[in-house]
Amino acid sequence: MDAIARIKQLGMPRRNDELWTFFPVSKIPAPEFPDACACEEDFSDEMDFAALLPIASNARTMVQSIADNAEEIAMLKCNNDFGRTVLNIGKNAKASIEILDNKVLHPICAERFDVNVGEGADVEIFFANPANDLPLAFRHFHITQAAGSQVRFASIERGNGISRVSIDDFLNAPGAKFECRTLNMLGGTAESHHRLHIYHNAPETTSTQLSRNLLDGSSRASYDGSVIVGANCTKALSSQLVNTILLSGDSSVSVKPVLKIYHDDVECTHGNTVGELDAEQMFYLVSRGIPQETAKRMLMSSFAKETFYPLPDSVGKKRLLQVLA
Amino acid sequence: MLSIKNLKASIEDGTQILKGIDLEVRPGEVHAIMGPNGSGKSTLSKVIMGHPAYKVDDGSVELDGKNLLEMEISERANSGLFISTQYPTEIPGVNNVDFLKMALNSKRAYLGMPEMSDDDFKNLCEEKMALLEMDERYRERGVNDGMSGGEKKRNEILQMAILDPKVSFLDETDSGLDIDALRIVANGINHIMAPEKAVILVTHYQRLLDYIKPTYVHVLRHGKIILSGGPELALKLEEQGYDWIEEK
Repeated sequence: MDAIARIKQLGMPRRNDELWTFFPVSKIPAPEFPDACACEEDFSDEMDFAALLPIASNARTMVQSIADNAEEIAMLKCNNDFGRTVLNIGKNAKASIEILDNKVLHPICAERFDVNVGEGADVEIFFANPANDLPLAFRHFHITQAAGSQVRFASIERGNGISRVSIDDFLNAPGAKFECRTLNMLGGTAESHHRLHIYHNAPETTSTQLSRNLLDGSSRASYDGSVIVGANCTKALSSQLVNTILLSGDSSVSVKPVLKIYHDDVECTHGNTVGELDAEQMFYLVSRGIPQETAKRMLMSSFAKETFYPLPDSVGKKRLLQVLA
Repeated sequence: MLSIKNLKASIEDGTQILKGIDLEVRPGEVHAIMGPNGSGKSTLSKVIMGHPAYKVDDGSVELDGKNLLEMEISERANSGLFISTQYPTEIPGVNNVDFLKMALNSKRAYLGMPEMSDDDFKNLCEEKMALLEMDERYRERGVNDGMSGGEKKRNEILQMAILDPKVSFLDETDSGLDIDALRIVANGINHIMAPEKAVILVTHYQRLLDYIKPTYVHVLRHGKIILSGGPELALKLEEQGYDWIEEK
């Protein structure tokens, strides 16, 4: 089934659809699709409207391949409402991929990234949108990982519109690791929604998720993260943590961790905290003469930077911390 | 200099911890406050600085004639009060040096002075770190982040040295210090001490007072100072504990 047929079969997202529970679905304009789909791939298993939208809209596809053992730093930029990028990362390759802002100011923008990571490859994918003013933006990542590969995904969102990032990561062979670190710093009426499905399809696979939110005004964030550990996937490790600081009475966060585990010998954890700035830390700073507002900014900055400190030194880490400086 | 009169303070559930503290601290003096656990020693420093967990029920606290209790916390610090708590708070993500510079320039702004230049601040930092025998790693770390108990206490004295307060209230600065670290920290405090300044030390042991000679020693129990004396009182407490005071 091609993407157009599948997206029409799914229909527009609804709040009672598990993948769109927290999203303001009424804000999605009804798309018009071409008569024929340019992509011949079979999408009959695809469940996410946002993953299908660029393909069903016949978005131009850019294919980029990184050779085995190569090292590359790349920047990707979509210049249209809809875009699709296919990245093939060779065995033992090292790649740093920054996704730049799409500046097309249309009512909706949707990008899809298919990332195929070869054995032993080490990949970082990151974006740090300084001010994404797109009214409605979807980014979908479909990542498959071979044995011993590592993918680190990191993002900062500080836009004014409504964004949704969805990730399906498939840890298909032993030793594959996926690490996801995201930060939302939102104000006004901005919204950021994250939907992740991590599939542990092999033994000794690891996934780590940390999502942090600093929410002011009447902004909203949501985190819908699922970890699925298959049968015979012994020694799978997974952790999921969401930390939110609500800076105003009108901001809100919704969190839905889901663990589907079909094997006994695994270690999977999840946690969620919602609070205000740490009162003891605030007292410490002001007791050294630092004014309250400055201390508040210092603590917010500290909370934000901590999201990325554990990452190994890399182009991505440097860029993300630079944005927060 | 620092004048505390009939200070009473309680926690949120209404339990009164300080039940009428009177303490006069004059320039050049070192006051040691001793007392059993739970007597209110740590609470006293936090109440004076305005910790939000405590409510002042009665009394006054003045620094050079100004009512500290009416000031914002940062204003109390910038007026010349410094407290070091027993367990210094960790703030990962806030760089130690950036924090120190921000604190120093906040004080300078409060006093109507211009910001200190980067070079001058660097030199000041180097001088004070050398005094406390601190290595360069401190510059890169977050405030008290991942530091041992002893490293935190040394870091507190570094802050005191840079902020140059009039009155320093040091709560169990000797806890967590090995013999060498105790000597270094005590030397640091002695070096910072000057005729126009004062220090209040909270301690359980005589060993800190071997290095820093107190002018007065006070015993705090059940939220009140029940006995005051000279340095000899600390020696007696070390030998005999606190029970004899109640017997008296």
